[in-house]
Amino acid sequence: MSICFDILTTAALLFIVTSGLMMIFGVMQIVNFSHGAIISVGGYVSFVLAQLGIPGWYGWIFAFLVGALVGALMERLVVRPLYKRPLDAILATWGLGIVMIQIITICFGRGIQFVDAPLQGTWHLLGTDYSSYRLVMIPVAFVICALLVALLNGTRFGVRTRAVIMNEALAESLGINAGLIRFITFSIGAGLGTLAGMLITPLSSVDPYMGVTWLTSAFMLVMVSGHSFLSLLFTCLVFSTFQVLVSTYVNPVLGGMTIAVLAAATLRIRPRGFSRD
Amino acid sequence: MTSFFHMNEKGRSLFSRITMPGLVCLVLVIIGPAVFDMYMLNTMVKAFFFAIAAITVDILWGYTGCLTFGQSAFFGLGAYAAGLVFTHLGFTPAYVALALALAVIGAALVGLFTGWISFYRGASSFFACIISLVLPIVLNQLILSGGSFTGSSSGLTGFDTFEFEMEQWYWIAGGLMMVCGVLSSVFLSSDAGRILVSIRDNESRCAYLGLNPSAIKICLLGVCAAMAGLAGFGYGAFSGVVAPELTGFSFGTEMIIWVALSGRGTLWGPMLGTLVITVATAYLSSAMPFVWQLLLGLAFVLVIIFLPQGLIPLLSRPFAGRRTFVPALESSEVEADGRHEDEPVLEMTHVERRYGSLSVLKDVTFTGRPGELIGINGPNGAGKTTLMRCMSDGKERTGGTIKLCGHDIVRQHPQACVRFGLGRKFQNANIFDTLTVAECLRMARSVLERSSLFRRDKVIHLPPYALEVVRVTGLEAKLGTVARDLSHGEQQALELAMVLALEPRIILLDEPTAGLTRAERISIGQVFSSLAHKYGLCCLLVEHDLDFVKEIATRIVVLHQGTIVVQGSAEEVVNSELVQTIYAGPSRKDEEVA
Amino acid sequence: MKLSHVLFSLGVMTLLGVPAYAADMIRIGVPVGLSGANSVVAPSIVQASELAVDEINAAGGILGKKVELIVADDASGAVGAQQAFDSLIFKKGVDVIISAETSAARNAALPIVSRGRVPYIYTSFYEGNSCNKWLYVNGWVPEQLSAAIVDYLQKRENANTFFLIGSDYAFGRGVLEFARKYIESVGGKVVGEEYLPMDGNDWTAIISKLRAAAPDALISCTAGGAPNVSLGKQLKSAGVNVPYANMALDEGTAKDMGNVASGVLVCGSYMTSLDTPENKKFLAALENKFGKDMKTPNELSVPQYEAIYAYKAAVEKAGSTKGKDVIKALGEVSVTGPRGTVKMDPETRHAALNMYLSQVQEDGSMKILDSFQNVEPGPQCRNCR
Repeated sequence: MSICFDILTTAALLFIVTSGLMMIFGVMQIVNFSHGAIISVGGYVSFVLAQLGIPGWYGWIFAFLVGALVGALMERLVVRPLYKRPLDAILATWGLGIVMIQIITICFGRGIQFVDAPLQGTWHLLGTDYSSYRLVMIPVAFVICALLVALLNGTRFGVRTRAVIMNEALAESLGINAGLIRFITFSIGAGLGTLAGMLITPLSSVDPYMGVTWLTSAFMLVMVSGHSFLSLLFTCLVFSTFQVLVSTYVNPVLGGMTIAVLAAATLRIRPRGFSRD
Repeated sequence: MTSFFHMNEKGRSLFSRITMPGLVCLVLVIIGPAVFDMYMLNTMVKAFFFAIAAITVDILWGYTGCLTFGQSAFFGLGAYAAGLVFTHLGFTPAYVALALALAVIGAALVGLFTGWISFYRGASSFFACIISLVLPIVLNQLILSGGSFTGSSSGLTGFDTFEFEMEQWYWIAGGLMMVCGVLSSVFLSSDAGRILVSIRDNESRCAYLGLNPSAIKICLLGVCAAMAGLAGFGYGAFSGVVAPELTGFSFGTEMIIWVALSGRGTLWGPMLGTLVITVATAYLSSAMPFVWQLLLGLAFVLVIIFLPQGLIPLLSRPFAGRRTFVPALESSEVEADGRHEDEPVLEMTHVERRYGSLSVLKDVTFTGRPGELIGINGPNGAGKTTLMRCMSDGKERTGGTIKLCGHDIVRQHPQACVRFGLGRKFQNANIFDTLTVAECLRMARSVLERSSLFRRDKVIHLPPYALEVVRVTGLEAKLGTVARDLSHGEQQALELAMVLALEPRIILLDEPTAGLTRAERISIGQVFSSLAHKYGLCCLLVEHDLDFVKEIATRIVVLHQGTIVVQGSAEEVVNSELVQTIYAGPSRKDEEVA
Repeated sequence: MKLSHVLFSLGVMTLLGVPAYAADMIRIGVPVGLSGANSVVAPSIVQASELAVDEINAAGGILGKKVELIVADDASGAVGAQQAFDSLIFKKGVDVIISAETSAARNAALPIVSRGRVPYIYTSFYEGNSCNKWLYVNGWVPEQLSAAIVDYLQKRENANTFFLIGSDYAFGRGVLEFARKYIESVGGKVVGEEYLPMDGNDWTAIISKLRAAAPDALISCTAGGAPNVSLGKQLKSAGVNVPYANMALDEGTAKDMGNVASGVLVCGSYMTSLDTPENKKFLAALENKFGKDMKTPNELSVPQYEAIYAYKAAVEKAGSTKGKDVIKALGEVSVTGPRGTVKMDPETRHAALNMYLSQVQEDGSMKILDSFQNVEPGPQCRNCR
């Protein structure tokens, strides 16, 4: 039973960490290489909030806002001039990631910071004790997914965003401000990144490089799942199943590489990955 | 190989391959031992090996446009080949040879495999980039979990290695760097080397010139991997230490920073830049590690945004005399392919194309013969461009068969279709932005005349009709001009000439008159007529405008809602009632399909 | 037109300015990981070095010469270490290298030390069996650690089955392999031994295995920093309550971790709570010198402090700073410092140490549970060249 929880919670965490990257990639076709640094920012936001005595749950909204602000600045200053040069855009975001991590290091030091988890201990569920915080991540992932799907499918903003994804020139000619759409999606994507950073702090350490370890898995998941959040959710579930199974029954070292290797293989065989179109 | 030493071009001796930053590199190599102290020599030797690896990053990214974070993996493989063999087997001439072979061939094989994963057809450039990120990470994990065999996190050390004096090492490493630099320079400015740039500029155009960009990139990655492996071997043998960080992706990203800061696509720039940054890092990072990283990162972001060409071209621009090499054009004999004149070169049977439930082409069947000029007409959204796509790319259609000059294209790639005798001119001028007119034309001949790896052909052979296009449109006087700087009409003409240079049997022309003046239309119409009637090509002309087509076409095919509704001589079609209704009032449905 | 290039080359060369050597100084080179993995502990090492040098200079230096400290960043890895050692030995001309570094950095440095014929005192705990004519070590090796921890778990916690968790690298593997051997030699049973990549932070699968195996005790030896902390957090959140010994936890980190680490067993040769006059004097001096900026001294910085005194003693015994003489003398002198009296053995090149077993308390402080005098480093470097 606990292996099922392992799979589900791992998938949930992967989804939470990847959703921000997905938001940006889905709309802008740009892989945001500073995502790792943005996750770290989230960790430090939760650290600062804890220092100020603001309880964890409220911090989630705050973390999102900080990330969105960082994302907005990034989009304006760095990404916008590079729309026509996507490879340069990812390099610039990468460089920006280095800068952000160094700034964090200079401000907070290289050492590890500590934040108390908002929820500790275990819950007894289906005949096994399991970490309550990890279990909470499952509904959190679903809520994030539902919100994003609702945003993209049920709102005016979503319609416009999809129009930009499908045919930008046409969308522009219909009076949709593609620049604004990108600005907003980039901000939301970065906000989701910091939120993810905050959400994972009770399970990982808070240090300048905390986000970087998630980066490759997140990249691969996004490449494989294409454009929709539902397929991302599905991909996370499939790959985390493999990861947990390999880690449990074969070798955790191999388990760490499972997602990267599987994703590369999937894309080699089926370039469209898990996306339906 | 003689051509290697006797450069055919005027005044281009081996020495002149070296640009200004290269000259600085050369001077550093020559005067180094006389002016540097031990520590500096030591740092420089390592920097020389790094510079060789940086060359490979520049070739892959700067020239070919494949961003790679993974060259450190091959560098590390080379270093570990030295470390593992010398540690576990010993240091004898035979084992040195074995280690060297492992370093170069092993890295090349891994490179080819990585290339195979990264550069399949239709792979996004992000994907290759991310694979290049994954490779060093996976390799690093393997080394860390290799126990005492790989030395795990501590790496391997204390193995016997070459006992050269520091000065000797300096000459060896510096010399190796210069040799790699000169060889790369010779290759990059050869005809084959220009193919890399053409892939960077426009990969799909390359495929439609019959080249296989994926295969070229895979081979290139193999070669670059071997070169990085060689550099890594040198580094491992020199330093006597191999450690996991040599394979790590942060080292790979450092190389990107070196190349980006100093000037991608300039070869000698990144080499000099690597030397300068490595030395500066050695002196500065100890004092202020985080600030130094921050400064490098900031400089990197700024250069990427505002100065994508990097800093060294900016510094050396005043001294760079642009040497444009302009070959002569000559007419080539078009070989008859021994086929019957009236045998169809294009046979489409029951071709269909669906997007999900939407059917864009339904049951299209027709043939094209040599000497025919077929106008394919229809309102917007009738499926004209889709039809062209199906003819030139086997993966496009969802049903039916297409034969080009008797070859069934099955599910083959565009490059195969081109080799069967197809040429496709796109609606928007589809050329190589940064190549000169002459280079664009030479590129189009790559399939027919193998490009040399060492030199440039002095003469470009073009079939008479291609030559005619070049001459009539005044391109011959602009052979040295960069394609990007041509006018819209000239670009269209250049693309047409490139497609014709392929000596195709069938040529697809997608709205070739769009945006042209009336006078230009008339002259281009005459060109098409002569292609069909004088040279016996089968021309397929997709046009929106019936008036232009009816002047020159021998036959007109009208598509409507994905099917052929009328087919016949210009007169029959233009006067047909059906066609008039179609053109008079296109239904709303068609607009949606568009 | 070449002028700007000439100027540019000159610019490169001005970076090479050769420093003037002052003959009446003794230079101690301290390459540490100011950046990279070790940058968490590096400041404490630098502080300990500065304190020792200040004290020695205030007392008249070594053989009447002033001591100068030269700190260099080794970036916690092999490539950076080569750079740092080259710079210290061949450019700055140091007389000795004393430092706590990563194993990768140490290994990379050994050939350079041999080439430069400079004594090198390595002051970090590590996986053992690193040998070189110019090398002495005064930190602990697995042989000195395992017995204390395993004996305690077996006797006090009645543990018979053990589960081992580590990061997959030389130190993690080395320590746990020795622990396994020791457990088996005393009749215990290892019911699981699991590793995660060195930078891996997701212990989910391993914790599930741990719970399934239901051992009596858990011993972990991960890479320091993030992996160690995330393991602690994830164990806590998974509600794992078995007796837990962490071989890679330092006191400063334990303090910061708060209740996440409470109850964890830690073993080492130094604890801040050691009740000896030397330790009290050391702590007071450190606090006096650095005040609020003082870093918690630890298993790396205290041996560093002692090693500088050991070097002083060796030079005074040899009567010179000549590398060969100092190496010989280093095996003959002993130093009484915060950890007690430490003498490095000329045969094994390592030191017998007093080991302390402590438990992290609710408030993050350490409570010493047991101590073991003069634990031998085992058969290290018997036939060192």
